[in-house]
Amino acid sequence: MIQFYLAYQPIIDFFLLAVGFGYSQQIAFRAGVFSIATAGFAAIGSYCVAILATRTEVPIFMTVILATLLAAAVGGLLALPLARLRGAFQAIATLAFVQIILSLLLYGEGFTGGALGIVGIPREVNTWILLLVVAVTMYVLWNIGRSGMGRVFNALRQEESVASSLGVNIGKYHIIAFILSGAIGGLFGGLQSLYTFQIEPHNYGFAFIVNILTVVILGGRTTLLGPIMGALIMALLPEIARPLAENRQAVNGVILILVITFLPNGVGDEIVFWFRRRKQARQQRKRASEKEARDAVTSS
Amino acid sequence: MLTQQILNGLVSGSVYALFSLGFTLIFGVQKLLNFAHGATFMAGAFIAYYCTINGLPFVMAIGFSMLATGLIAILIDLIAFRALRKRGNAEFPALVSSIGVDLILVSIAQQVSNTQVLNFPFGTFPIQFYDVFGLRISLLQIVILGVVAVLVTALIFYLKKTTFGRQVRAVATNERAAALLGVNAQSVYLQTFFIAGALAGLAGVLIGLLFNSIQFLMGEPYMLRAFVVVVIGGLGSVQGAIIASLMLGVAQSLTVAYLPSGLTDAIIFGLLFLVLLVRPNGLFGDINAVAGGTRQ
Repeated sequence: MIQFYLAYQPIIDFFLLAVGFGYSQQIAFRAGVFSIATAGFAAIGSYCVAILATRTEVPIFMTVILATLLAAAVGGLLALPLARLRGAFQAIATLAFVQIILSLLLYGEGFTGGALGIVGIPREVNTWILLLVVAVTMYVLWNIGRSGMGRVFNALRQEESVASSLGVNIGKYHIIAFILSGAIGGLFGGLQSLYTFQIEPHNYGFAFIVNILTVVILGGRTTLLGPIMGALIMALLPEIARPLAENRQAVNGVILILVITFLPNGVGDEIVFWFRRRKQARQQRKRASEKEARDAVTSS
Repeated sequence: MLTQQILNGLVSGSVYALFSLGFTLIFGVQKLLNFAHGATFMAGAFIAYYCTINGLPFVMAIGFSMLATGLIAILIDLIAFRALRKRGNAEFPALVSSIGVDLILVSIAQQVSNTQVLNFPFGTFPIQFYDVFGLRISLLQIVILGVVAVLVTALIFYLKKTTFGRQVRAVATNERAAALLGVNAQSVYLQTFFIAGALAGLAGVLIGLLFNSIQFLMGEPYMLRAFVVVVIGGLGSVQGAIIASLMLGVAQSLTVAYLPSGLTDAIIFGLLFLVLLVRPNGLFGDINAVAGGTRQ
C-alpha cells in the first residue's frame, strides 16, 4: 500500500486537485448556470495564496481561508451582471471574465510577476491535506444536495420557468451557486499554488478550462460521484496507455465528443442513476408482493 | 499617425469580420456556439501553407484551402452537431463536443508542424507599398480590404436575395415550420457550415500572410475575439458582426498604440462585459433574441 502510494503520489494529488476544481465547476452546472468561470476563481485563489505566502507573514492556513473568501466574493459579484444572461451568453461572459483576470495577471507585473508568475511558494500541501479538503468539500456539497437548496438547484436546472412559478427566487440562487463555485475554485486554487511551488497565468488558460470541463462532462454534472469518476478516468487514461499520453489533447477531444454524444449524463451519473433505478424497481416489487399477500389474506 | 492606426485597424477588423461572419451565421441558424471555428481558421492557414511549399500557385492554394476548410466544417457538423441536434436541447452538449473537435484539430496541427512557427516562403505575395494621402498602405492590405468587401457583399446578397438564402433564414426563424414547407433543413445546415468554414479558412490564410506567422494555436485568440464581435454586434446578426469587427479592429490598434499594450485584452473583454450588462442582445442585435429571461 505504502509502495503504491509512493509510486503514484503525483497522480493521486493531480486527481484530488482535479476533483476539487470539478466540484467548483459542477455546482454551477447543477444550478443550471452555464458558467466556465472556475479557471478565473482558481487563478484568483492561487495568486492570493502565493502573494500572501511569499510576501507577508500571514499564517499559511489563513492565506487559504482568505483566498477562499476572496474568490467567493468575486463569484458573488460576478453573479450580479450575469443574472440577466442565459445559456450561451453566460458561457461567453464567464469566458470574458477569465480572460480579464488572466490579462490583469499578465499586466500587473510588479504585483503578480507578469508572465513569469510567482516562484518559491512554500510547499505546505501534501496528499493527506488534499484528501481531507476534498472530503470536507464533499460533505458540505452532500448536505447542500440533500437540503432544500439542492432541490432548488435541481429545479432551476431542469426547468427554470417552473421553478420561478413555484416561488423560487432565481437570482438569489444563482448568486449562491456562483459564491459556492467561487469558494471551491479559490480554495483549490490556493491549495494548488501551495502544492506546485510556482504558478503562472498560463496555468489557468483555455487548457485549464477544457480539462475541468472534461472532468465534469465525462463524470457527470449532478452527482457527487461525477467529478470523482471523471478525474479518475482522466488521471488513469495516460497511465494505462502510454501512446495516449503523448496525444493527450486529441484524446480529451475524442472523449468529449463520444461522451456527450453517447453518454450525455456522464459515467458517474449513469452509475448513480442505475443504482437509483434498481432500488426503485426493488421497492416496487416489494410493494407489489406485499399487496399480493394482503389480497390473499382478505380473500380467503 | 492616428489615421494610419485607424487604417491598420480597419484591415485587421475586416479579417475579424470574415472570421466572425461564419461564427455568427452558424449561431444565427442553429443557435449553437461552434468552438471549433478557431481551429477551422487555423486549418485554413496550414493547408494553404503546405500547398504553397509543395509548389502550388498561391491563388490555387487559397482556393484549395477554402474548399478544404469548408469540407472540414461540414465534417464538424456531421460528427459533433448532427446527433446532438436530433436529441434536442443541444446548446450545452454542442459547445462541449465542438471543444472536442477543436482539441483534435489543434493536436493534429501540432503534430504536423512539430510545434514550430511556420512562415509563408518569401515572395509568396509581392511586397509593395503605396503612399495615399500621406498614409502608407501595402498591396496586401488593399487586397485584403477588397476581398473582404466583395465576399461580405456576396454573402449578404446570398442571404437576402436568393432562394437558398431565404431557406437559410426560414430555418433560422423556425426549423419545424420551414421543414413543413419543404425546406431541407439538413442541407441548409451543411451549406451554412460550408460557407462558415470557407470564410474562416480564407481569414486564416490572410492573417497568416499579414503577420507572416502560422502556428497551431493561432485560432484561439481569434476565437475569443469572435465572441467579443458577435456579442457586441448581436449574436446571429450579420450586419452587426461586420460593424462590430471593424470597430474592434480599430479599437484594438488604437489601444495598442496609445495605451499600455498589456491592457488590450482587459479593455476589450471589459467592453464585452459592459455590453452584455447594458444591452445583452448586442448593439445591433435583435431585441427579441433570447439573451436574458428564463430558459425554455
